[in-house]
Amino acid sequence: MTADGGSVAPDPPERPAIEVRNVSRWYGNVVAVNGITFSVGAGITGLLGPNGAGKSTLLHMLSGFLRPSSGELRVLGQPAWHNPEIYRFVGLVPERESVYSFLTGLQFVRLAAQLHRLPDPDAAAARAIAEVDLVDAQDRATGGYSKGMKQRMKVAAAIVHDPQILLLDEPFNGADPRQRLHMMDTLRRMAGEGRTIVFSSHILEEVERLAENVLVVVAGRLAASGDFREIRRLMTDRPHTFTVRSSDNRCLAAALVADPAVFGVELDGERLRVRSSDFAAVTLALPRVARRSGVTLFELLPTDESLESVFSYLVNR
Amino acid sequence: MITTIAMLTLRQLLGKRRTIVLSLFAVLPVGLALLFAFRGDRDPAGWTATRLLAQIVVGTLLPLAALVFGTAALGSEIEDGTAVYLLSKPIPRWRILAAKLLVAWAVTSAFVVVSAVVAALVALQGAPESGRILAGFSVAIAAGAFVYSCIFVLLSVVTSRAFITGLIYVFVWEAVVTRLFTGTRVFSVRQYTLGVADLAAGVNEKVFKSQLDGTAAVILMAVVALVAAVLAVRRLQSFETGEAG
Repeated sequence: MTADGGSVAPDPPERPAIEVRNVSRWYGNVVAVNGITFSVGAGITGLLGPNGAGKSTLLHMLSGFLRPSSGELRVLGQPAWHNPEIYRFVGLVPERESVYSFLTGLQFVRLAAQLHRLPDPDAAAARAIAEVDLVDAQDRATGGYSKGMKQRMKVAAAIVHDPQILLLDEPFNGADPRQRLHMMDTLRRMAGEGRTIVFSSHILEEVERLAENVLVVVAGRLAASGDFREIRRLMTDRPHTFTVRSSDNRCLAAALVADPAVFGVELDGERLRVRSSDFAAVTLALPRVARRSGVTLFELLPTDESLESVFSYLVNR
Repeated sequence: MITTIAMLTLRQLLGKRRTIVLSLFAVLPVGLALLFAFRGDRDPAGWTATRLLAQIVVGTLLPLAALVFGTAALGSEIEDGTAVYLLSKPIPRWRILAAKLLVAWAVTSAFVVVSAVVAALVALQGAPESGRILAGFSVAIAAGAFVYSCIFVLLSVVTSRAFITGLIYVFVWEAVVTRLFTGTRVFSVRQYTLGVADLAAGVNEKVFKSQLDGTAAVILMAVVALVAAVLAVRRLQSFETGEAG
C-alpha cells in the first residue's frame, strides 16, 4: 500500500527501526519498566506479558506518549519523546476503544489523512478503509460500530499515511474470530512489505499465530526476546518434553534411558514421554536410538513448545 | 491544519445537550430584561450596565459558558482518549492548542455577546449612552472570554478535575474572595472584564464604574492570557498518557 505523500524514513534501512537502551519508567515508587534493552527491525514483533507487566508503558514510550525515566529510546534514529515529527513514519493504534463517535468511519480516517497533510486525503482514506475491509460501513457514524469494527477503523486511520512503523496496543480486543483473522492477514501483508509492526497482547495464541519475534515482559523486565521457539531452546534449565509413538514403546524406552541426552522416560498408554534438557541433542538421538533398537518411529512431537508453556515458565520462574 | 482541528472541535463542542443547556442559560438575561422593561424602571442605563451586564452576564453567564467550552475543547478528548488521534500526528502542539483555544473563545463569545446584546437592547429601551454601553460590554465580554478560555483550556491539560477547579475559581474566588479582600481583584478575570467594559464604554460614573482601572485591566488580561496559553502549550508538549500496565 502506498499513501499519497508517504514520507521517506530518515535513516538507512539497515539500522533497527526501534532501539531501546536500558529504558526504565517509574511512577513514584512503582517501577513499571526496569532497565529494558532491545531493538526491533522489519516484521511483526509481539509484546507479550500479563496485565500490569509493563507492556503498555513500554508501548506508550515507544509511541512518544510517555517520557522514559532513564535510558534511551529511538524510533528510526530519532528520540520518540517530545518529537511529533516521528509520527510521519509511525502509525499508532491505541488500546482505548474511543473514537469520535459523531464522525462516520470515512470522516474519521479522512481526518487522520488531513492531519497528516496528505495531498489527496480522500483517496488515502478510501485505500486505508479498503485495506481493513470496512468499505460497507464507512458512511455510518463510528458511535454505532461494534468494538471490533472500531478497532479496524482505528487501524485504517493509523495506516492512512503508509507508515514505516505500526504500533498497536491490544489490537484484537473485541474482534470476532473472522475480524481477528482478517486483521492478522492485513498485518502480515504490511510486514511483508518491509514494515515494522509491534503489537502488545496478553493473549498467547494471538502472539504465537502472528509474531515472528516475541518480547516477553514480566514484572517490568524483559524476560526473553527473539523467536519464541528459540527462546524455549535456550531455557536449558527446564526439561523439554517429547511425545513419541513407535512400533515398540517399551523397547525404545529401555534404549533411550541409556542415552546421555535423555534424563527421563515414561510410558503413557500408547505413547512414550521423553524428557531432555537439550532440545537439539534429543532430536538427533531419538531416531538414532530407534534405528539401533530396530524400532520404527511413527510420531515425534515436542509437547511443550507452545508459547503458553514458555510464557508460564517465564512468569513463574 | 488549524481549520481542520477547529472544525472538529466545533462539532464536538456544539453537541446537542451542551448547546441546549447553554442556550437556556443564554436566554436567562433576556428574560430578566423583559421583566425589567415591563416594570418600567426610571434608570434603564444604570440597571442594564451594573445589574444585567456586570452581574448577570459578566458575573455568571460569561464564566459559566467559558468554563463549559474551555474545559471541553481539549479536556473532553483527553478524558475519553480521543486526544491521541490529534497528538499522534506530526503537528506542533501549539497549533493544536491554538485551534482549540480559538474555537472555545469564539463559541463562548458568540453565546454570551448575543445574549448580552439582545438582553441589553430590551432593557435599555433607547436610554442615553445605550450605544456606548452595548459596544463597551461587547468588547469586554469578547476580551474576557479569551482570558477565561486560556485559563480553562490550561486547566483541562493540567488536571482531570478542570471543571470543578474552574467552578471553584468562578464561584468561590471571583464571587466571594475578591469581594471580601479587595487586593485579590488583580487575580480576577471578572474584574478585568469589568475594567475593560468601563474603559471601552466610557460612560458616566453614575451609570457604571468598575473597581479596577481600565488600563491596568487590559495589561493584566494580556499578561494572564499569555502566561496561561504558554503554560498550556508547554504542558501539551510534555503530555503523557497511559498508566502502568
